[in-house]
Amino acid sequence: MSDQVKTEEKTLPRVKPATDIVESDEGFFIYMDMPGVAKENLVIDLNEDEIKVTGRTSYPMPDGEKLIHAEFANGEYYRGFTLSHVVDKSHIKATLKNGVLELHLPKAEKTTPRKIDIQMG
Amino acid sequence: MVIDFSPFFGPSSPFDRLFETLWTPLPISQRPYAYPPLNIAEDDERIIARCEIPGMEISDLELTLAESSLVIKGERKGAKGKYYRQERPTGFFQRVVNIHAPVDRDKVKATMKDGLLEVVIPKSESAKPKKIAIDIS
Repeated sequence: MSDQVKTEEKTLPRVKPATDIVESDEGFFIYMDMPGVAKENLVIDLNEDEIKVTGRTSYPMPDGEKLIHAEFANGEYYRGFTLSHVVDKSHIKATLKNGVLELHLPKAEKTTPRKIDIQMG
Repeated sequence: MVIDFSPFFGPSSPFDRLFETLWTPLPISQRPYAYPPLNIAEDDERIIARCEIPGMEISDLELTLAESSLVIKGERKGAKGKYYRQERPTGFFQRVVNIHAPVDRDKVKATMKDGLLEVVIPKSESAKPKKIAIDIS
């Protein structure tokens, strides 16, 4: 059984999801088109500065249905990003809605420039 | 079979296309990309059109069943802000599915889940395969 699952995993084509990276006042937003991916099949890994997104589609193929014309099939989405130091890693938020993954990466509070007092010896 | 009026451009350079065909041996059609990708399936009872349209509500789509075609229309809007990278298509799109079978137009159903649009068009009674009993005397 597990062997079967493994071979099935291997045959799934890997696709890079189409991605937008947008900066606004609230921080950075990453939008990824991942149609057909349910919440349960989406994995987001954050390791130090690397963020990795993996998702798998699970389109059913009901019995008795004959495919006449096909332009998409089951696949695995995969994409990795390196985060900049400006991003506040502890407050990253992910939302999956209608097949679009939205990652909100807020900017870390800017270290305000300060004057250094000079002490006279 | 499917007429494409897509305003989007797919991978444009011949090299892009070459690599695309090399890296993704998908069991899918080889025609240049049209947006949105569309699958058409059929069984004895109905015709099913499935379309990958992420990020849209079903209410934002315009589905029209004309005399012998199904038209899927809509517009994808982008977010506001400074773009560092833009790969997701925006703008108007349209796909036309020609249907050459009598269908039951009152029972057409469309659902949207996780960015996948599914339009189920039941065939009318006259198009279904029928068994005819033959009496042998």
